[in-house]
Amino acid sequence: MREKIIYGLGTLAAILLVMNLHRMFLGLPDEADQGAIYRIMFFHVPAAFSFGICAFLALFASIAFLITKNFAFDAFAVSTTEVCLVFGAVNLITGMIWARIIWGIWWAWDPRLTSMLISWLMYAGYLMLRQAIDEPTQRARSSAVLSIFTFPGVIITYKAIDWWRTQHPGAVLKFRTGQQRMDPAMEATLWWNVLAVGLVAAVLVLIRMRQENMQRELDGLRREAHAL
Amino acid sequence: MRVFRQALTIAWKDLRSEIRSKETINASLSFAIVILLLFSFAFDPTSDTTREISGGLLWIVFAFAGALIVNRSFARDLPNDCLDALIASPVSGAALFLGKAWANIVLLLTLELVSFPVFGIFYNVAWTQRFWPLMLVLVLASWGMTVVGTMFSALTVNLRLRELMLPMLVYPIMIPGLLAAIQLTTALVGGKPLEGDLLMWLKLLVGFDVIYTALAIALVDTVLIG
Amino acid sequence: MDVRNFTYMFYGFAAAWVIVVLYALLLTSRENKLRREMDRLRRMIEDREVRK
Repeated sequence: MREKIIYGLGTLAAILLVMNLHRMFLGLPDEADQGAIYRIMFFHVPAAFSFGICAFLALFASIAFLITKNFAFDAFAVSTTEVCLVFGAVNLITGMIWARIIWGIWWAWDPRLTSMLISWLMYAGYLMLRQAIDEPTQRARSSAVLSIFTFPGVIITYKAIDWWRTQHPGAVLKFRTGQQRMDPAMEATLWWNVLAVGLVAAVLVLIRMRQENMQRELDGLRREAHAL
Repeated sequence: MRVFRQALTIAWKDLRSEIRSKETINASLSFAIVILLLFSFAFDPTSDTTREISGGLLWIVFAFAGALIVNRSFARDLPNDCLDALIASPVSGAALFLGKAWANIVLLLTLELVSFPVFGIFYNVAWTQRFWPLMLVLVLASWGMTVVGTMFSALTVNLRLRELMLPMLVYPIMIPGLLAAIQLTTALVGGKPLEGDLLMWLKLLVGFDVIYTALAIALVDTVLIG
Repeated sequence: MDVRNFTYMFYGFAAAWVIVVLYALLLTSRENKLRREMDRLRRMIEDREVRK
């Protein structure tokens, strides 16, 4: 059943991505000031949304694990954190490539970029902590606590463009500013790609979760095999 | 107020053990002085440059030496199963955590109060112009560092690579508080009054302290006991 | 300027996809390793039960 969901979501994601690519390249004109490179935004921003949503889901799963002690939540937490790292990396690297052209530099220590890098490092630390603990219950508990401590960083990253004047572009999306600052067709394509990239993230999370379950089954088998 | 009395007892126990052995305070103090020395080679310590980076320099020193202090706080109780005894005792997780945090902040503040005159002498900076606001910033920022550090000391106490994992996990989380501390310290050491833009940093620091203290007290039982 | 613009845009797209594909490959290799380990253990259990 789960296999079908994974394949279904994957196919949907692929279709959406192809449609969006078509719209991006043939439907929309080049941007007035930036030229062609503004199209990086269509992956940069959705990756950021995937990063944030996965981080939030990891927080939710961590709290749920601490309350219910159900290991399914621990599996969900580690899966969403890994995927959030992947999309965080996509976000950082696409941003750097864009910045090289638009600002002339690969990196700037402005609040948005710095807080994003810090958040990414914190979630990398989460994976490192998990590797350092062998016992499953303690591993789940400690990483759940770490996940709760790292989430404020993600909030700071999100709000950075509101709280400080940053080199990173300010808020333009309608839901944040209340006004239509971006061309409606571009904004629509952006949201469609948010959905597409989100579906890709969902597929990756489901596959990773299945592997966590396999790992647990494996540990059980190992115990049985050595007991005989 | 049993929690406070228990916390005080534990804090006093840790401090007494530290005063007798002096292992942590010696190590962290030497480390702080060596880093201050090393930084004097990293750039030319004329007073203009130094005043601009004084906050950053000092707080990096305090962060690194502070990690040593915080690392020891739970690790100190590992031999002879002392930590298990503490956890099994009627002392609540919150009291144990607060006690260790208070002991740590006393040690950290001692380190800082010794480092400041050394910094002033090595780099020829008059740092006492805004002494009491500086002390306020010191206490607030040290509390933030201590709370996060002690929390993660509890979390990593049983790990093999404790000395490596603790700084790796703690430093990113501490960055908002550290940043506020650095901005405030640079301004105050430079003689600027605590007003205007600086108040925003002070608010950030207080917010950081409140949020992470609350989180730590709420979660320390989970980490220690399960 | 415009040529560089286009080139970097493709670098950007390529980077995004390469990262995701690398992760997917990592997942696949991990899954294969897990499956192989599980088969090995299942065979070990069968052997021991047969021997009993």
